[in-house]
Amino acid sequence: MRTGSVPSAAYHDVPYTRGGTVERSEIGALVRSAVDGDAAAWKAIVEGLGPLVWSVVRAHRLSDADAHEVYQTVWFRFAQHLGRLREPEKAGSWLASTARHECLKVYRNARRLMLTDDPHVLDRVSEDGSPEQSLLEAEEAAAQSERVRRLWQEFEELGERCRQLLRVLIASPPPSYQEVSAALDIAVGSIGPLRQRCLRRLRARLESRGAA
Amino acid sequence: MSDANGTNDDTESDDDFDTGLLEEELRQAAAVLDPLPPALLQSAVDAYALHDLDARVAELTFDSLVDALPVRGATDAPRLLTFTAGEVMLDVEVTEQGLIGQVLPPGPVRVELLGGPQPAAALTADDMGRFTAGTAPSGPFALRLRTGDDVVVTEWLRV
Repeated sequence: MRTGSVPSAAYHDVPYTRGGTVERSEIGALVRSAVDGDAAAWKAIVEGLGPLVWSVVRAHRLSDADAHEVYQTVWFRFAQHLGRLREPEKAGSWLASTARHECLKVYRNARRLMLTDDPHVLDRVSEDGSPEQSLLEAEEAAAQSERVRRLWQEFEELGERCRQLLRVLIASPPPSYQEVSAALDIAVGSIGPLRQRCLRRLRARLESRGAA
Repeated sequence: MSDANGTNDDTESDDDFDTGLLEEELRQAAAVLDPLPPALLQSAVDAYALHDLDARVAELTFDSLVDALPVRGATDAPRLLTFTAGEVMLDVEVTEQGLIGQVLPPGPVRVELLGGPQPAAALTADDMGRFTAGTAPSGPFALRLRTGDDVVVTEWLRV
């Protein structure tokens, strides 16, 4: 039974806080320290927000070569603009929005556009043995690994809009809704309801495949 | 992990809880199957060297990719870029053969092509502020102009 609550309020109950290891409130201070020459502050910014930039780039289905260059371009430009940011505390949104614009330029540059239906994304498990992978393999049985693959495959086959939104949302640490909004040019207020819809759709796909 | 799908309560909060778990599971899958490559993380760390308080940034004020109508059938039309920093303007044309540019107002200028934190390559420039590079930039690039004490760097870009 659905209660009468408005869907837009749904995400307030999400059982974890968004904006993980680098507290988003600290970003402004880190940016100012980096401007003053503190390389450790810069590194903390990169480690805290790099995964967000990567997620935005991956949400846009570029070829690997384009994805890598866009990622670098975004950070080069961020370093260049470091001392000129009007709102240092919104560095995450600046990065997300810059990444989006660079991705759209790749689309426009049709010659370079290569839709990666990316079967090799799934192969990457065997290609590079990341620490996460070794950990996963060690701790969980092969069945669990298979579940992760299937989850990822169903995710990849979601409609483009849902796939894009979720790819940005699942950056680690989780981005704020302001950052998601900047990454995809959608209103902050519509992110929560869309997120619910997309996750429900994903769950339905998993269940219909008997993956539950 | 199967509890993400195990409950069938259909109240709002249980639904939220379930989708929250599913999102977290998906986040973990992304960390395994589509992680940020360590080399890219490192290149962003190294990009700190590009932070230059002394240089003025020339903003991209025209990009044919965005601001010009596409030329039908022209698959290798040059990419035309204009950068502006105060009174200094820089017109650049990038083709597969290389790069040519013009600094305005015209005058002697030293131009370097940057490709990242590594050392820049000096380009040939004449007394009228025209310059060329024999190969097109691969990957992100910026141009650094020096006239007297003034240093201008174009916004990082890729073509």
